[in-house]
Amino acid sequence: MATIELLEVEKRFGDFQAVKPLNLTINDGEFVVLLGPSGCGKTTTLRMISGLEAVSGGTILFDGRDVTWLNPSERNIAFVFQFFALYSHMTARQNISFPLEAELGADIDNDLGLGEVGRFLSQRVFQVFMVQWLRRRHRAVINQRVEEVAQLLRIQRLLDRRPGVLSGGDQQRVALARALVREPAAFLMDEPLGALDAEFRETMRAEIKRLHIDQHATTVYVTHDQIEAMAMGDRIVVMSDAEIQQVGTPAEVYHDPANLFVARFIGSPGMSLINGQYNGQGMIRINEGNTYRIPDDWKASIERGLTGDDGEIIIGFRPEAAHVNGDGDLSARVYADDLHGGYSMLHLDLGEDTIVHARAGREMQHEIDEALRFTIDPASVRFFDPRTEAAIRKAT
Amino acid sequence: MSQTTMQGPTRRHLSDRRVIQLFIVPTMLLLILMNIFPLIYSLYLSFTEYSIISTTAPEWVGLQNYRDILSDERFWENFAITGRYALYSVSLQMIVGFGMAMLLKEKFRGSGLLTTLILVPMMVSPVVVGVFWRNIFNPSIGILNPLLGYQNLETSPEWLVEYPLYSIVIVDVWMWSPFVMLLALAGLSAIPDYLYEAAAIDRASSWFQFWRITLPQVMPLLIIAVLFRTIEAFKQFDLVMGLTGGRPGTETVSVRLYREALQGQFETGSSSALAYIVLVIIIAISNLYIRALNRVREA
Repeated sequence: MATIELLEVEKRFGDFQAVKPLNLTINDGEFVVLLGPSGCGKTTTLRMISGLEAVSGGTILFDGRDVTWLNPSERNIAFVFQFFALYSHMTARQNISFPLEAELGADIDNDLGLGEVGRFLSQRVFQVFMVQWLRRRHRAVINQRVEEVAQLLRIQRLLDRRPGVLSGGDQQRVALARALVREPAAFLMDEPLGALDAEFRETMRAEIKRLHIDQHATTVYVTHDQIEAMAMGDRIVVMSDAEIQQVGTPAEVYHDPANLFVARFIGSPGMSLINGQYNGQGMIRINEGNTYRIPDDWKASIERGLTGDDGEIIIGFRPEAAHVNGDGDLSARVYADDLHGGYSMLHLDLGEDTIVHARAGREMQHEIDEALRFTIDPASVRFFDPRTEAAIRKAT
Repeated sequence: MSQTTMQGPTRRHLSDRRVIQLFIVPTMLLLILMNIFPLIYSLYLSFTEYSIISTTAPEWVGLQNYRDILSDERFWENFAITGRYALYSVSLQMIVGFGMAMLLKEKFRGSGLLTTLILVPMMVSPVVVGVFWRNIFNPSIGILNPLLGYQNLETSPEWLVEYPLYSIVIVDVWMWSPFVMLLALAGLSAIPDYLYEAAAIDRASSWFQFWRITLPQVMPLLIIAVLFRTIEAFKQFDLVMGLTGGRPGTETVSVRLYREALQGQFETGSSSALAYIVLVIIIAISNLYIRALNRVREA
């Protein structure tokens, strides 16, 4: 297993900057999710780690070894593709044993002690026969390893079928088996669940997470699905506009987003954001009739953190931090009320096109356009500077 | 059909079925007259003693024509020549065509133009190709021998006399390798890039990738190319006539067939029998290939 370090790694396609210089360390055995909307550079970053894409600048280290300009085959990694990339002319078994046999091909000269001419012929012209021969010699070992991996992924009964007749979930299991069979230093997964039906996705998500816990392999996982990222990642790297927005545990990116992008992107719905003006005396004026009192422990941080002198500020909070009650300090109208099974999500209109979300018990019924009052849990409220879009950090 | 009543009662009423029949019947008649009747009639003739230039009616001789052909050494030689010719030219075309396709697989500046230019020989009429190459092979005016470095007329080979069958093979390879290339190129460009990416991750060397991914993936199209070219090779007539005029050593089955049927005695009966033997051989070979194709394709 390996520690992966990216130092000032960047990618340009002509004038287009696909990935701005970024620094990231992925620890040994860690499950890191690269999360972001499509086109944010997360897949390009993954492909640069794998070596399928050359870097335009920067250095990639595996366990301190510089692999920046090594071929994918020299990095000892496994890659799981979004569309599986199974060899369609081979059975599942042959797909899974492919990496092991390819390794045999590479080891032919070591194995046989051939001279220059022999090595040339064996590596090129006769390779297919040599591998066949070597495979016969190593058949027992290869078969055993394939069986082990198949058992791990519960695909033993599918081994003699071709990918074309397998369901999407089973194809991805075969692809995972092919990745696992060689015991690589790191797993790189490019939206492995993206091509699956919703029902398979849930199951496979749990399976991949489970595999990671069992194997404890360094894993870099790319997805645009923030629910997937929250559920699977030890750490999440949120990317947008070709750069890293925030690196943190799922709880950190959820509760303490570094900026407005992360606040909006993480969570469904994203963080509720309200524009207001700080009056310098602990109050934020939102609009006619709505003024928010800043919790006392935030006051100093906000006064220090705001960059503008007009007091423009954004209040942010998660739906579960808003509580509807009669003597709350903010007033709003009910815009919509969605029942989500165990709870209902209230869409509250504060006027001036500001809609915020509040989670409410499902036993409470609210009429559309009903006026109500709510409070924001002072422990969960966050503040952002609209000028820099960055979160204001609370002094401790 | 409501319009017919509006336009007046004189218009004849045609049902859809009737319209369909009216369109199909002429085609069917033509097909029966030009294809199906001759096919069956020639099968009948192959069991008779008959010549179209004689006034005597076909005389039923049973399997005598087939017996004569299969026991005549000269016919066996025709088959042997055709078989050798098919083996050489098809295998060379596969190697050359597939090789060119591998070279042209990667796009580069002008690769489209180059591909089109390579296809030109295929578009020339075989008779014209025959005449061209007869001049190219010609020891006194041809360009081939000087290009190969032969200065002296005395020692330079006379291709069409000394190596007549190989000469035809060379011309056929020149003419039809582009066809194999075209099919192979279609197959190669249909292999998704991600298979090679996956193979690179799986640490497969480029030769291993070639043997285990490229070749199996294009195999169905290669088999189709072999099928087409083998059938064509068994029918080879125009290039032979254009190049050597069917001189001994190059008398393929088709040339022999032509001579039996339309020269000398106009042996219509026995030439029909020969044609049916060729037909059976081609169907048998095609079946073998198609079986191979299905085995490669089964999924």
